[in-house]
Amino acid sequence: MRILLVEDDSMIGESVSEGLKAEGYAVDWVRDGQEAEVSIAATPYSLVVLDLGLPRRDGIDVLKGLRERHVDVPVLVMTARDTVRDRIKGLDAGADDYLVKPFDLDELTARARALIRRAAGRSEPVIERGALIINPATREVTWQGTAVALSAREYALLAALAERPGLVLSRAQLEEKLYGWNESVGSNAVEVHIHNVRKKLGDGVIRNVRGLGYTLASE
Amino acid sequence: MTSIRRWLLAALLAALAVAGLAAAAATYFSARDEVDTLLDEELRQVALSLRDHAVLDLRRLESVAANPDQRVLVQIWDPAFDRPYVSRIVGDGPMPRTEEGYVTLVHAGRSWRAFALYTGRQLIQVAQPTALRTELAARTAWRLLMPVLVLLPFLGLAGWWIVGRGLAPLGRITSAVKERSPTALTPVPSDGLPQEIRPLADSLNDLLARLDQSFSLQRRFAADAAHELRTPLTALNLQVQLAERAQGDEDRARAFERLRQGIRRATRLVQQLLTMARLDPDAAAAPPAAVEVGTLVSSVVDEARTTARERSVELACRDTSGGATVSGSEDALRILFNNVVDNAVRYTPPGGRVSVACQRDGDNVQVAIEDTGPGIPEEERDRVFDRFYRGRSAAGSGTGLGLAIVSQVAEMHRGRVALETAPAGGLRVLVRLPVLAAESASTH
Repeated sequence: MRILLVEDDSMIGESVSEGLKAEGYAVDWVRDGQEAEVSIAATPYSLVVLDLGLPRRDGIDVLKGLRERHVDVPVLVMTARDTVRDRIKGLDAGADDYLVKPFDLDELTARARALIRRAAGRSEPVIERGALIINPATREVTWQGTAVALSAREYALLAALAERPGLVLSRAQLEEKLYGWNESVGSNAVEVHIHNVRKKLGDGVIRNVRGLGYTLASE
Repeated sequence: MTSIRRWLLAALLAALAVAGLAAAAATYFSARDEVDTLLDEELRQVALSLRDHAVLDLRRLESVAANPDQRVLVQIWDPAFDRPYVSRIVGDGPMPRTEEGYVTLVHAGRSWRAFALYTGRQLIQVAQPTALRTELAARTAWRLLMPVLVLLPFLGLAGWWIVGRGLAPLGRITSAVKERSPTALTPVPSDGLPQEIRPLADSLNDLLARLDQSFSLQRRFAADAAHELRTPLTALNLQVQLAERAQGDEDRARAFERLRQGIRRATRLVQQLLTMARLDPDAAAAPPAAVEVGTLVSSVVDEARTTARERSVELACRDTSGGATVSGSEDALRILFNNVVDNAVRYTPPGGRVSVACQRDGDNVQVAIEDTGPGIPEEERDRVFDRFYRGRSAAGSGTGLGLAIVSQVAEMHRGRVALETAPAGGLRVLVRLPVLAAESASTH
């Protein structure tokens, strides 16, 4: 699950980015409106966390531009502008949710989860795929009735595959969902994570689809 | 408490009474003159008509008892008789003989005006008490004074009402001012006010307008400040939460270091806000002093040396201003140069160089601060002086207030701040301040 963070303040940006990474998301962080537009055009993000007071191009303009081009990535706006009128303006410009500074990291990650879940067309907070149950809020994974402890990347891998039933993701797509720009990715990193997940949950949990990539075993 | 209404009324009534009395007195004296002429003539006529009756036979004339209705007293002396004839008996004896013509004399305890006329052997005297004349003149004066005295109470009432009406606009302004809340600084209505009160309303409105302006500036500053405090508070909030959930010593140490940076930044912002508030033009109460710019700049540069060494930035200062002084606040100017030098040192990458030059330029002292940092793009150079504006290239911890403070202090000293590109590619900040008037005169 890859998130674009648009925030010009380095301290806030660093903290939010760190907090989101700790939740298992891949985070790309840009500092101005133009870079944000370029990044969104180039990468399929699960969520954009957008600050409104941005240099070069205002957050509201970025948001309007996105919606005009029919990019329907969920957008969580975070801003210090907190009047009701500002919030209405933000939501009307195409924001999916609104977070007023200062905010809690927990609230940010909870709202991020909700937005990603909604965008995937689910309303229940827990994902069930056959014997596999994933709780994004607690990042707990249950396989055939027993809780399994996974690393952040392993969890992100399972969550990405479980996003929609029957979803098949290539190695490159998985890599894109698991890693931000600044992270160095070993050539077989995805295979290593898949190997580890299979070791913990059993070989049957992830299936190879020849020529296409990987999918979760159905039932 | 003095009352304009009471004072006006008392003064007007007193003036009226004095005028009435003065008029009555004048009338009295002029009437007295006229009565004198008139009655003197009457006395003469009576005497002449008596003479014209040829020789009076005193034996046929009889004295009568005093009759107050008789206006004149006639007395005729004849050598044939030892006593004169008198028209009425007044007092113990006859009036003494007098020379021919008018005379004023005392007879029987009263003052008389008498006219004497000799006809051959007889002397005719016609006399009249002077009290009659005084009474006539006084009556004329009284006729003039009485209506004034009768009218005074009515004038008093009318005056009370008229003065009250005249002062009503003052009452209206008072209640208009009294009714407003301390934050409502809209002008009091000045339409239809009389010209005596209009200046009061106008200057009141002028004061209200200036207050309103200063209040809204303060409000905007407070709102801006509160807004700006959110950013470092957000960062602090997030940094604390990251520190809480940090696992392992290394993570925790990193989180705490970031937290410390966040606190430093919030502290700095609060300090800058305080500085800004103190620099407010209205608050600058201290009298201006003579400040030697070169010495001040050198001491600011010396203070920055530690930071420069830590950041491996070379810091040089050259003063050729020849002890030029400007008039103003040393504290404020220190803040100005501190901000500029500090900025230059912080934005210059390690190994770079910051040079400060202070020189005399005509009637100005010019301080140039050059660095080899990233500079400020030309399109941003106007905006960086705005409060809370933070350039795109600004590193995270700026408050957006530094250059706003710099330009405010420069303006306070009637100086200017300009941003240019330094020859080495970094930023050159030019601060120009006018030198003390006395000093600039002595060099020309």
